[in-house]
Amino acid sequence: MVKFDLKLLKNQAEKEIKKAENLAELEGIFKKYLGKQGELTQVLRSLEKLSKEKRAKIGKEANELKKFLKLLLEQKTQAFKEKVKKETEESEWLDVTLPGKKPVFGHLHPLTLARRRMEEIFQSMGFSIVEGPEMETEWYNFDALNIPKNHPARDIWDTFYLKTELSRSENEGEDEATASSPTELSRSENEGEDEATASSPTELPKEAKVKMKTKFSSPGGLLLRTHTSPMQVRYMEKNQPPLRIIVPGNVFRHEATDYRHEFQLFQVEGLMVDREISVPSFKAIIGEFFRRFFKKEVEFRLKPDFFPFTEPSFDISMTCLVCAGKGCSACKNTGWMEVAGAGMVHPNVFKNSGLNPKEWRGWAFGFGLDRLAMMKYKINDIRLLRSGDLRFLHQF
Amino acid sequence: MVFSYNWLQSFFKRKLPAPKKLAELLTSHFASVEEIKKKGNDFTLDIDIKPNRAGDCFSHLGIAREIAAILNLNFQLPETKIKEDKKLKLKDFIRVEVVGRGTCQRYTAKVITGVKIGNSPEGIKARLKVCGLRPINNIVDIANYVMLETGQPLHAFDGEKLEGKKIIVRFAKEGEKITTLDGEKYNLDDDILVIADSQKPVAIAGIKGGKLPEIDNKTKVVILESANFNSQVIRRASRKLNLRTDASLRFEHGLDPNLTEFGISRAAYLIQKIAKGKVIKGSIDIYPKKTIAKRINLDLSYLKSLLGVEISRSRIMDILKKLEFKIVHSPKESLRLPTGQAKFNILTVEVPTFRLDIFLQEDLIEEVGRIYGYEKIPVLFPVSALIPPKKNYEIFWEETTKNILKEAGFSEVYNYSFISEKDKNIFGNNNLIELENPLSVDFKYLRASLIPNLLKNIQKNQKKAAKIKIFELGKIFRKNKEKLEEKRMLTATILGEEFYQLKGVVDLLLNKIGISDVWYDNYKPTPEESKLSLWHSKKCAEIKIGQEEVGFLGEMSDKISETLKLSQKVVLFDLDFEKLAKLASEEHEFRPIPKYPSAVRDLAILVPPQVKVEEVLNVIEITGGTLVRDIDLFDIYEGEELPEGKKNLAFHLIYQAQDRTLSSKEIDQLHQKIIKTLESEPEWQVRR
Repeated sequence: MVKFDLKLLKNQAEKEIKKAENLAELEGIFKKYLGKQGELTQVLRSLEKLSKEKRAKIGKEANELKKFLKLLLEQKTQAFKEKVKKETEESEWLDVTLPGKKPVFGHLHPLTLARRRMEEIFQSMGFSIVEGPEMETEWYNFDALNIPKNHPARDIWDTFYLKTELSRSENEGEDEATASSPTELSRSENEGEDEATASSPTELPKEAKVKMKTKFSSPGGLLLRTHTSPMQVRYMEKNQPPLRIIVPGNVFRHEATDYRHEFQLFQVEGLMVDREISVPSFKAIIGEFFRRFFKKEVEFRLKPDFFPFTEPSFDISMTCLVCAGKGCSACKNTGWMEVAGAGMVHPNVFKNSGLNPKEWRGWAFGFGLDRLAMMKYKINDIRLLRSGDLRFLHQF
Repeated sequence: MVFSYNWLQSFFKRKLPAPKKLAELLTSHFASVEEIKKKGNDFTLDIDIKPNRAGDCFSHLGIAREIAAILNLNFQLPETKIKEDKKLKLKDFIRVEVVGRGTCQRYTAKVITGVKIGNSPEGIKARLKVCGLRPINNIVDIANYVMLETGQPLHAFDGEKLEGKKIIVRFAKEGEKITTLDGEKYNLDDDILVIADSQKPVAIAGIKGGKLPEIDNKTKVVILESANFNSQVIRRASRKLNLRTDASLRFEHGLDPNLTEFGISRAAYLIQKIAKGKVIKGSIDIYPKKTIAKRINLDLSYLKSLLGVEISRSRIMDILKKLEFKIVHSPKESLRLPTGQAKFNILTVEVPTFRLDIFLQEDLIEEVGRIYGYEKIPVLFPVSALIPPKKNYEIFWEETTKNILKEAGFSEVYNYSFISEKDKNIFGNNNLIELENPLSVDFKYLRASLIPNLLKNIQKNQKKAAKIKIFELGKIFRKNKEKLEEKRMLTATILGEEFYQLKGVVDLLLNKIGISDVWYDNYKPTPEESKLSLWHSKKCAEIKIGQEEVGFLGEMSDKISETLKLSQKVVLFDLDFEKLAKLASEEHEFRPIPKYPSAVRDLAILVPPQVKVEEVLNVIEITGGTLVRDIDLFDIYEGEELPEGKKNLAFHLIYQAQDRTLSSKEIDQLHQKIIKTLESEPEWQVRR
């Protein structure tokens, strides 16, 4: 018969708990009394061997003791835990000046950033964004824009020609456009017949009208567009005014490069056609664009210029932001930076697009995005833009 | 073109503004002055004359006329009054014949005898030098001087050196040759217009004089030519001979035929004054079809509505008159048109023949506008119908894609649209489009793929950057059967053996732009492609959406890496962006959050190394059905501890039902079924 001295057990345990100095000791005490082989556990386990009355009495006492010890242990544990927590909290430390760990993001190209900004501004003023082909026909790039064949005016645009006799593949729907615009050869001949007065000094005399094939034109009449202006005609052929569009895209110029010149550029064309359009509205839209693009008041001016597809034609210059208009190498010491060509749409361009110039009026502009981006981010060499140099690209 | 400030001043009695101020005025109202330079006691203004104004403004006279209009001053034409000698007869010295209609609108000639050849006076020499010409002798200098002054190119022949006392304007014959004044020899042909004597060409018409009838110290008889040649003929000859001169520059832009007379009179006047000699009375003047001034009606109300500014009628008329337009008709009340309709405020303007650029009333409006001043035009927002802009989805997806790739750690590059001859040999491509006139061999073809230039970006950056992840979204160009094709591609690359990382990027990208149904097929190169071996043949996949192939993902072949000296392996994806933009969708549907709990069971299986994960997944999916909600491959292991020729794949299988809580018994049964099915493959063994 086992003798149960619960009182002794209680005293002993109580004393031990009081003496315990850390969590491990408390755990040991728990094991000793309340673990699987613990003294109190054994008492509880042996109860079944007792008589019913005894079992009830001792059982109750033992269970109370168990509860009591548990509570005592818990309290002490809690106290220890708090103490430990407090201690660690005090000993824990972070150097807040150590650098943080950045998630690795990539970078968008400055031309993308500038282009987005420009598109957003013009879209908010009701302009749709459209795009056009970079391989273009002589008709759309020159003739349709009132730039005469074999005339020095064409030399303003140094052109890359394509070595191929093939016709370009058009997207569906665009086939009609090509079909409706006469090819360059048949057109020039027609004009020769019409103008019986052939005294115009730009007309080649009949005797001399032998087929010319110089290295300056391509047999298929295909070239890399020198400006985004061909889209004026392409768009007006298919869309009835009033209209407002901008046309972002690559253009190509056959010229030597330096820190200010590139042979591949990004241009943004703009065109607004309506019944009552005039120079003041052009000035207003451009001014608004500058204000929003550069986020400040930017001074700009219109100077006379010449583009065969606009009349009058303007050159748009803005205060050079590199030197704040004081004059620097970027602006050739003028304080002004030419950023766009513009003007009122020439009646012949309307005609070539199938619109009646008496009915419609419009203005158009072509911005050099490279130059705007250079002004915005103070980039001093245009060639960096297409260098693929990550030390440059990672700055944006 | 360079102009002398002092020379311009000589047209005016009043003092002109200082050079800098004058330059600003010209820039605002006429054409950009690019540079001002001090030259001794003179200044030069470099003015960017546009081709439309070459006809009248490649001359000091033309610029003076502009200045007069801008400053509202009067200017004087230079002196041309000659004392002519009536005793001698022109036809005793020279006869002129023009062969071929339209090649030469006008040929004017004068003869001066008894000239004394010598140096020019200092004044003339100084002006020529300031404008960049080298003084030669008084006669040649005067011809050049008058060209700079009036814009009319002139040529002087020694009359005694012309065979048969004849000048014939004709096309050269095949095989004819000429030595020009500078001693260069040129072979001529029937595209080249020449001035010939009775025997042979003595000058290339409108371009350069020949050595033979050169003015020298012994010259006594000067024959002055002041002609107007067809601009196209001169342009073509100049290009063919690759010979451009001050004269050809002016002729190819076109000149006013009525200018020959003024030019020749001015030159004769100066020769008489400086080189003495007798000017024989009259001139030879072959001018079959006289150029007459055009008339244009200018509607003043249209002018106002186009420029958007009110300019007084008298100011408009003043501006036009100063530019030497004549106001033929300026009714105060109205102009009755032939149709009977009355129109108010219409001016009939006669255009001087030297203004080759004016055809329409818009051209007149520009003249008025620029002289009046564009800066005085007000700023006013347009009044227009509110038509909302159309959304351009192609651009929308382009921008979305760029953002996703940026967030995935890729940097965007813009490369040139060209590749070099060398690239062609490395990457090979028969469908390249070649340029007729490339800038150099480095930019000889249009790119038919974004890959070559991206790999070169890596090549250039690999020493400077530890990690390289770049992409480009741009157009490629190629011949496709009978057509030329231009389309947008998206290509991204990582320096390093990171196939699965890049594959994850493709999955993420497509998922984000709303494209599901993506799968990867083994790349099966055609024999031709494998010869080029751009891609590693065993580490490359075709990316497919449904049945459509949209691009490739893989490692670059060792051959390419070696050729380009890449420091590590390179992985790359190349996607047809136009297909993606079509398949992309903004639609996104919410999937309800499951109401019932899920349970996870792990499964590890040993399979031969060649077995693809997809094969195992397929068995699990098909057997598990809808109750297997997700399968997550968390480990692949090959190596020691495993039986020879096996790899271990470990999965978490997530079981979940839409409509109830699955009991563990149900899950266990299904799991066992999956295991059993997997093991029905002879060499597959589920580890327990």
